[in-house]
Amino acid sequence: MGCKKFEKLIIQSLDSELQDWQRDSLEDHLQKCPSCRDKKKEYLTIYNILKEEKAVEPKAYFWPRLQAKIKTREQTSFWPYVRQWSIKIISASLLFALLLALIIAFFTPQRPAELSQSEELLLRNQNPVEEASQLLKEEGIENQNMMIIFSAMEAKNSSRRYYP
Amino acid sequence: MEDKKLVQLSQQGNQEAFSQLVKKYQRKVFNLALSLAQNKDIADDLAQEAFIKVYFALPKFKFKSKFSTWLYRITINVIKDYLRKKERLSRIPQELIQVNPFLEGDEITIRKKEKTTEIKRKIVHYFIDQLPEKYQTILVLRDIHGFSYQEISKILKISPGTVDSRLFRARKKLRQKIEPYLRQKGGKHGL
Repeated sequence: MGCKKFEKLIIQSLDSELQDWQRDSLEDHLQKCPSCRDKKKEYLTIYNILKEEKAVEPKAYFWPRLQAKIKTREQTSFWPYVRQWSIKIISASLLFALLLALIIAFFTPQRPAELSQSEELLLRNQNPVEEASQLLKEEGIENQNMMIIFSAMEAKNSSRRYYP
Repeated sequence: MEDKKLVQLSQQGNQEAFSQLVKKYQRKVFNLALSLAQNKDIADDLAQEAFIKVYFALPKFKFKSKFSTWLYRITINVIKDYLRKKERLSRIPQELIQVNPFLEGDEITIRKKEKTTEIKRKIVHYFIDQLPEKYQTILVLRDIHGFSYQEISKILKISPGTVDSRLFRARKKLRQKIEPYLRQKGGKHGL
């Protein structure tokens, strides 16, 4: 293993445990290599300086100052509110529109379906085929046709002509 | 009260719950900012900005990670923005190199130990400041604040393998930069 690989082990050893064979081979190498010994010393110096940095207390009244800044931002900025509420407003509007449509559909009176002539006759307790049976009772084909023409004129529908 | 409950209450607009979250994490957030900005006023501004961002982003927080991880990620991003914009010192300040505190000798004995440690710290930070921002961040998270590799991977959204290799390069580059200074004898040396 060359000095470059040992340098990696030196760095690794700063904050994590090396395996036994790695530690042994590093120790062997350090005894023979003054350059790597210096490097290890330097790495340790830097690492210890950083590790021993003491935490500092933040400046006084951190929360009240933060609270004041948040209030100012809320007052000056309209968009965070819009972003925060837009999804809720859109969903509520859609729900309201759906409810409104359901209410309208439920309460609108339905138009009665148009009844056919036969249905109307049945509702009036009359025989819907009475006219037809009278036609069939006529003897001559001309008479039958004339009867059809007259009844079609009554119904304003000329297409009811009889074709034998 | 645990973080999850406090976050849920804060999401419902409870200011008291949010103030408890701030009080719990303000020290850590401020010190993260201070480690990279090296100025208390700037660190205070950055910490406040991070909490403001958290406040307005809280409705979108879906508990996919721990609240603390999410908070540190936002803090690091605020600090990164600052680091990108700020100007770096082109030379180490003279007062730091009048006496080389890394070398044992007569000069060191005339100074108090505490002051020496403080100067060493400032010198190391001067060189950290010269590194690319990604190396600065990882050194501060691991070597100063002691975050685990796993936590760093979640905060920076990189794989644990990348954390390992990036940290290796960062430490190596930092030593290379400080090396000439560490090996010089005597004081009053430029770099």
